Amino acid sequence: MQFRLEKRREPSKVMLYATPVAAVLLTMIVGAIIFSAIGYDGVGAVREIFLTPLTNSFKWQDLGVKAAPLIIIGVGLSIAYRANVWNIGAEGQYIMGGLAATWVALSTHGMGGWWTLPLMMLAGVLGGAAYAAIPALLRTRLNVNEILTSLMLTYASVQLIYYLVRAPWKDPMGMGFPQTKRFAAEALLPNIFPGTIVHAGVPIAIIVALVAWFIMSRSVFGYQMRVVGAAPHAARYGGFSENKTIWLALLVSGGLAGMAGMLEVAGPFQRMVPGFPTNYGFTAIIVAFLGRLNPLGVIFAGIVMAITFVGGEVAQTTIGLSSSATGVFQAMMLFFLLAGDILVRYRLKRVAPQEARA
Amino acid sequence: MPNRLELSGITKQFPGVLANDHVSFAVKPGEIHALLGENGAGKSTLVKMIYGIMQPDAGEIRWNGEPVVVPNPKAARKLGIGMVFQHFSLFEALTVLENIALGMDAKIPSRELEARIREVMTAYGLLLDPHRTVATLSVGERQRIEIVRALLLNPQLLIMDEPTSVLTPQEVEQLFTVLRKLAAEGCSILYISHKLHEIKALCDTATILRGGKLVDTCDPKLETSRSMAEKMIGTGLKDIVKAEGRGFGPPKLLVNRLSTSRTGHFDVPVDDVSFTVRTGEIFGIAGVAGNGQNALLDALSGEIRSEDRDAITIDGKGIGMMGTTERRRHGLCAVPEERNGHAAVGDFTLSDNSVLTARDRLGMVVMGLINSGAAKTYTGKVIADFAVKALGPASTAGSLSGGNLQKYIMGREILQKPSVLVVSQPTWGVDAGAAAAIHQALVDLAAAGSAIVVISQDLDELRTLSDTLAVINMGRLSPARPVRDFSVDEIGLLMGGVHGTVEAA
Repeated sequence: MQFRLEKRREPSKVMLYATPVAAVLLTMIVGAIIFSAIGYDGVGAVREIFLTPLTNSFKWQDLGVKAAPLIIIGVGLSIAYRANVWNIGAEGQYIMGGLAATWVALSTHGMGGWWTLPLMMLAGVLGGAAYAAIPALLRTRLNVNEILTSLMLTYASVQLIYYLVRAPWKDPMGMGFPQTKRFAAEALLPNIFPGTIVHAGVPIAIIVALVAWFIMSRSVFGYQMRVVGAAPHAARYGGFSENKTIWLALLVSGGLAGMAGMLEVAGPFQRMVPGFPTNYGFTAIIVAFLGRLNPLGVIFAGIVMAITFVGGEVAQTTIGLSSSATGVFQAMMLFFLLAGDILVRYRLKRVAPQEARA
Repeated sequence: MPNRLELSGITKQFPGVLANDHVSFAVKPGEIHALLGENGAGKSTLVKMIYGIMQPDAGEIRWNGEPVVVPNPKAARKLGIGMVFQHFSLFEALTVLENIALGMDAKIPSRELEARIREVMTAYGLLLDPHRTVATLSVGERQRIEIVRALLLNPQLLIMDEPTSVLTPQEVEQLFTVLRKLAAEGCSILYISHKLHEIKALCDTATILRGGKLVDTCDPKLETSRSMAEKMIGTGLKDIVKAEGRGFGPPKLLVNRLSTSRTGHFDVPVDDVSFTVRTGEIFGIAGVAGNGQNALLDALSGEIRSEDRDAITIDGKGIGMMGTTERRRHGLCAVPEERNGHAAVGDFTLSDNSVLTARDRLGMVVMGLINSGAAKTYTGKVIADFAVKALGPASTAGSLSGGNLQKYIMGREILQKPSVLVVSQPTWGVDAGAAAAIHQALVDLAAAGSAIVVISQDLDELRTLSDTLAVINMGRLSPARPVRDFSVDEIGLLMGGVHGTVEAA
């Protein structure tokens, strides 16, 4: 018995939504097998990583807090990727957004007011967008691939944090720790539910996704992103400039990554520390794809990814699974998703072996 | 003598379509046999089974009287079946000799191969230097390589798939001479085409397919082009209704010394082109593929902007430096040659494809938001008015057949009532019924007062459609003249690069 891939007349809607679900299920199954094979309780690991965060209500607030930055960055990336602009450096833009917000928080320390947080937000967005403008400039002027430049700039931004928190921004009262001082109360995100760690970034993430969904599906801007990504030649014929689209895609995705950076530094971190880069920018790439490059899908994908983060921590303590196991699960998910995507456009057809030989 | 090739009851089923339904016919030795039919009639499938690319589900192929199974093209060549495809498989960077050597089943020392190539070339008058690089050859010359490649195997049956679609009239004549000589020596030829006058001029017998079924086998010399066309499409053919003796209005579109710069390695830029199209006039631009037509269309549509504002003017207003959106606002719509990926986005719905070019002219955008209701309504109107076979505005463009997509695209532009319409290859790959509908729509648009530019490689189309004609060759445009003042020979010479008064003298 042999199979052949046959192109579908229309991309399958069912497969479009079924493959992300199948990817998650396959990840669970294969993950269980792999971790059993190397001597862990594989089934237990999968249960701790994928189910405990959902069944244990104490973990829900963690989910929200982890999912928020993933969703915000993932939404931005899903817009850029629609336009075939491959911004891989959201991590760097997230860092620059965080640093710009930190700068506002530190320079207004002790004289802030209601306007401090909005100003930090503005700085965060501009910081992220400005950092994404570098790959945009290089791509549109010199035709340098944005995948390389945006990725490499991430490493530069990490070094910038190390420098800033060790020298100019170092907290004099920090007992030598490389970190800034804790932000003033006006520069910290308010908690939404008293007694929890759920900060204002969580509802903001949902609002960002909803607004992005509306813009992408209804506006000329969204149309432009989609048409440039789907058929650049047709986009030119339709009157959409490719360079302008590259700029918009990078500025929007960079700006949103910067916004996430601001929310993180003013939320959970409360100060800038060397541990600020937490790979949200890279994980959000998986989130964008798992969410089908659709802002509404990104909400769900962000939650799924947050589950693996939270669950990974649970599994670390309960069954002693290494923290890198989370990365393995996330990578498997992306792998299965991309592999399964071929079924959206193609179907498997059984062929008689004799015909295949001819 | 047994028939060279005999098909009986050949049937091939694809998912959803019966591509060939009990097709039976025979080709005699030395006969030039036409296989005639519209796009999708099943010609290609049938030929692929003869050449071993596909296997029939049912039926029998007899070769010189013996029943055979042709498992693959190599076996077909071994039997003595040669094929020249519509799309050539040549490496542009290699020489003629190297290309032929690569395509041979058996390995032959290159000196011996060269001798044999020269022998075949002289025998059939296929003149070509074996050491020239393919990139430097014209399309007609490239086709000769494919023919030589097939003839080296001493075939008893040569299959030619739409061989003349890219040739000038003179090149077509040369090809026919070669084919007649081959036939006289006893080689049978299966000639696939939909150009009826060529079939009348060349072929002894014609087999007509429609919807996978054999409709008729006839002698083309005893038929008229019209009667064969009607058999092909199954209904009476509608004539283009063109009001005689209509006058033209004032000049509408003025192109003045338009040039573009070279972008890629093999593309041909537009070089100092000037012409005028008046209100109500259809201006035809003939030429062999790859002579700057694409650059000309892009330069007119606005995808390539000129540095000179007055290189293109509409009603005296210079639009040369405007982009496509601005030009559309000034009344200029365009349809490029490539449908999928250029004129339309295959993954998008038809409704979304309407937004691509009609959004400004028809007010589909309000404050940056797309009015999808308006797009849907307009798309529905295009589908209805141009008889597009689609489930509705929500079907994706990629799910339509080539001809239906073309009808949709033409409809999308024509119903915007542009004052200037520029179209390239408006009926390329479109069946005769749809082509007639598109032609009529263009004539009606001109009658309503638009200026129309038709860029095409199909001379028949240009001669029936246009009022004025010019020929493009290597990016340069010949002087324009009323179409009835041109003879086919003259057009052919211009297409081949002989520029009348100056160079031919």
